[in-house]
Amino acid sequence: MKKMHHLQIEPGQIGEFVIMPGDPGRCHLIAEHFENPQLIAQSREYVTYTGKYKGLTVSVTSTGMGCPSAAIALEELIMSGAKYLVRLGTTGALQKNINLGDIIIATSAVRLEGTSVEYIPIEFPAIADIDVVDALIRATREKNLKSHTGIIMSHDAFYKGSVFADPDFLKREQVWIDSNVLSVENESSALFTIGYLRKVKVGTILTAVANHLTREVITDEGKINPIFHQMTDICLEAFNNINK
Amino acid sequence: MEQVQYHIRCKKDEVNKAVLLPGDIERADYIGTQFFRDSKKIVENREFHIYNGGYENKPVAVCSTGIGCMSAAVAIEELTNIGCKYFIRVGTCGSLSPEINPGDIIIVTGAVRGDGASKEYVPIEYPAVADYRTITALRNRAKKEGVDYSLGIIRTHDAFYMESPFAFGDYKKRVAIWAEAGVLAIENESSTLFVIGSLRKVQVGAILVAVGNLITGKKGTKDDLQKSINKTITIAAGALVDLQEGKEGKI
Repeated sequence: MKKMHHLQIEPGQIGEFVIMPGDPGRCHLIAEHFENPQLIAQSREYVTYTGKYKGLTVSVTSTGMGCPSAAIALEELIMSGAKYLVRLGTTGALQKNINLGDIIIATSAVRLEGTSVEYIPIEFPAIADIDVVDALIRATREKNLKSHTGIIMSHDAFYKGSVFADPDFLKREQVWIDSNVLSVENESSALFTIGYLRKVKVGTILTAVANHLTREVITDEGKINPIFHQMTDICLEAFNNINK
Repeated sequence: MEQVQYHIRCKKDEVNKAVLLPGDIERADYIGTQFFRDSKKIVENREFHIYNGGYENKPVAVCSTGIGCMSAAVAIEELTNIGCKYFIRVGTCGSLSPEINPGDIIIVTGAVRGDGASKEYVPIEYPAVADYRTITALRNRAKKEGVDYSLGIIRTHDAFYMESPFAFGDYKKRVAIWAEAGVLAIENESSTLFVIGSLRKVQVGAILVAVGNLITGKKGTKDDLQKSINKTITIAAGALVDLQEGKEGKI
């Protein structure tokens, strides 16, 4: 079998169930939840581990930042046999009632990025797979954790739409705040769009590490990591539920 | 909101909170008179016919929207103004999938925003997504009724005579991009209903019957289509009952 051009993985080396963080540095943290995790490949921003969870073969592959690299990761994962994929990442909250560390499950995403537009005209909705959304909500409830469920926004230019952007960033984001968009991140809209086109099931679970309205930010990885462990548990239980 | 709404001619709390939204006036009359218990016609103005009634001992309502997002937006805005919270569009569509035949049922997850009305509300990159609780409630009721359905994205558009079997010129070419993308069907109201639902924080879903297939040219018989439409009304009314009880449950 030929290796995938960017991910450097082969069909058969990953499971049908894949967790996709943005940061390659978080893959090992997620793989700690697998039984017998094996490092499969490490190439550019793409790190892949495969292991077992309650009998299921599961993998984790990082996407890098942004839809261009995330789209490559998703396409090559699908070519390698992935069927259920969950992006697990961080986000900046756009609503006052979302606190730092809160969990957000996306039903769909605003397509404020360039990649998905190369696939299909902009009027096509970037929506998460409903079975994955349901499974994530259920797994979160079973762990007695709360989540916000709704529309998020995906964009390309961090320094135009983040707490580190120029002072006018909130003016540009006001339209999305007023439209009840929960938060901003960088990958989900392309992942959802491509997932639908390729007939695989894609979802997203995020934690708020900033709030654009209050300008609060968590920068300490030590505070973020425990939430990543929680979200990994949720993902794996969601996969387990889907497989039942 | 004590004032009478401009088009639907009713005021706060006069319409039950959970509302079926057919396009066709006659279908609103049919649902109100044939499916609801103790139903009462409240309004008959322009393309808006509204009935209150009971279904499985829960209060429900039906309001026709007329054809297209323009009048559908007016209906859902004014119903929301007077306190309605749960909406399910029950309607018909043209199939874009060779696997979906006339008479087949679709539960909608999201819609391509090929309409004009939703663009006045929010930029085009915003998704027209059905409420996830409503999708789940519809799927559970379909399962309970033993009804098969397809689940996925549809296309909403404005110009019937550009994209339908009655259209001018090569309509198959115009819809090819959506068929290839796995868009299941075409209709005229859902995208705006979903967008307004997200903006105004009310729950909106849609269940549709394919009345023809734009790709294969197949058409359904009137009797068969009516049977399927009856099933969608039963599923949607049941889903409105479950949503009001907060037990949309799980798949």
